[in-house]
Amino acid sequence: MRRRVGLGAIQQQKLAAEKYKDKGTVLQESQLEQMTKQMEVFRVKLEEFAMKHKEDIRKNSQFRKQFQEMCAAIGVDPLATGKGFWSVLGMGDFYYELGVQVVEVCLAANHNTGGFMELDDLRVRLIAARGLSSVHQEITKEDILMAAKKLSIFGNGFVVHKLGKGKYIVQSIPGELSMEETNILNAASNTEQGCVTPSQLIEDLGWTDYRAQQALDKLLGEGLCWIDKQTGDEPAYWFPSLFPDRRGRSVISSK
Amino acid sequence: MAEYPWPWQYNFPPFFTLQPHEETRQQQLEVWADLFLKYLKDKNRFSLSIGDQNSPLFHNESLKRRLSPEFVLTILGELERTGHANPLDKRRQEWQVYWFTLEDYGNMVYDWVQVTGQTNTICTLYEIASNEENSHLGFYGVDEAVLLSALRLLEEKGRCELIEMDGSHGVKFF
Repeated sequence: MRRRVGLGAIQQQKLAAEKYKDKGTVLQESQLEQMTKQMEVFRVKLEEFAMKHKEDIRKNSQFRKQFQEMCAAIGVDPLATGKGFWSVLGMGDFYYELGVQVVEVCLAANHNTGGFMELDDLRVRLIAARGLSSVHQEITKEDILMAAKKLSIFGNGFVVHKLGKGKYIVQSIPGELSMEETNILNAASNTEQGCVTPSQLIEDLGWTDYRAQQALDKLLGEGLCWIDKQTGDEPAYWFPSLFPDRRGRSVISSK
Repeated sequence: MAEYPWPWQYNFPPFFTLQPHEETRQQQLEVWADLFLKYLKDKNRFSLSIGDQNSPLFHNESLKRRLSPEFVLTILGELERTGHANPLDKRRQEWQVYWFTLEDYGNMVYDWVQVTGQTNTICTLYEIASNEENSHLGFYGVDEAVLLSALRLLEEKGRCELIEMDGSHGVKFF
């Protein structure tokens, strides 16, 4: 084939490129239009769904869990978006309300727990505090975690610590827990009674004698644990919030 | 005899060690003071001896934890501060402990005297504390020694006069 040369050919190429570009823009526009349409449809459907199932959303813990998973998958924080169409679901309100209740329950029990509460314990107390109708009863640990985690934006007065093995502890007094302290809490939560000794820390965490004692003294100094000097051996350090007997009694007496 | 309904703290081993942290210790003392009063009320007792180391109140046998005499003294000191206990000897080993404060007892007895119109008559302490008709009143069954202390307080205010008769006491209210 003969190569096309000359001014005419260049102009033709330019023209073709322009045409392609135009076509591309048109395509893009139509795609955007379609996407917008789809989003619009989605929004309308979601709103319809929300209107229809508003009560279910408040009641159904399973639904909330799946909704949370969906939001996580598409990168939307249902609580951060107070405006916009997510709010029609009333998801935010549910968690805000729960968050306030979490604070109330934790603060009311602070004198007893020393500022720590296990998530299971918190759930039992929340349910007791929320009234007897089934709407209020169906709250899962995920719901509480979601609500409690939001509270951390108010500073370090309210923090959720993960202790491993699916256990969480909610701290409701100001102050940051150091890594050491978190590790100790973790070790204590794995014992039946919720107590640790220095030698246990030395053995389990590979700490030095000095480090273990320092960390325990710090916890004691902050009023987060109790010391037992009558073990016959080295002292033991106890966390009231992890002591099983306390929970048993407190649940009964609160009814 | 039914087991006393101990609070959960009674089974919490560090509860028997005086806590070094100021706020924690204050809480601990409050719970102990409350437990002392409730326990003695339940047993209808009005005295405590620090030397009585085998009392279940000082000694949780299954837990192998006990209150040291110093700790007991601290708790009783707390009760003394709130008007619920009084040492009987100089060494502060024997104590009178009472559910209501002496002032409360005095007022309750005086109210009862007024209501039943017994002013200007003489009653014995036994009549006041052990009268079956008074079983609904707070001072029913009160230890006579405690009652005597309460009446002495009332006497100081000029509301009654204690009279000694053959070693026992009578009282005249005004």
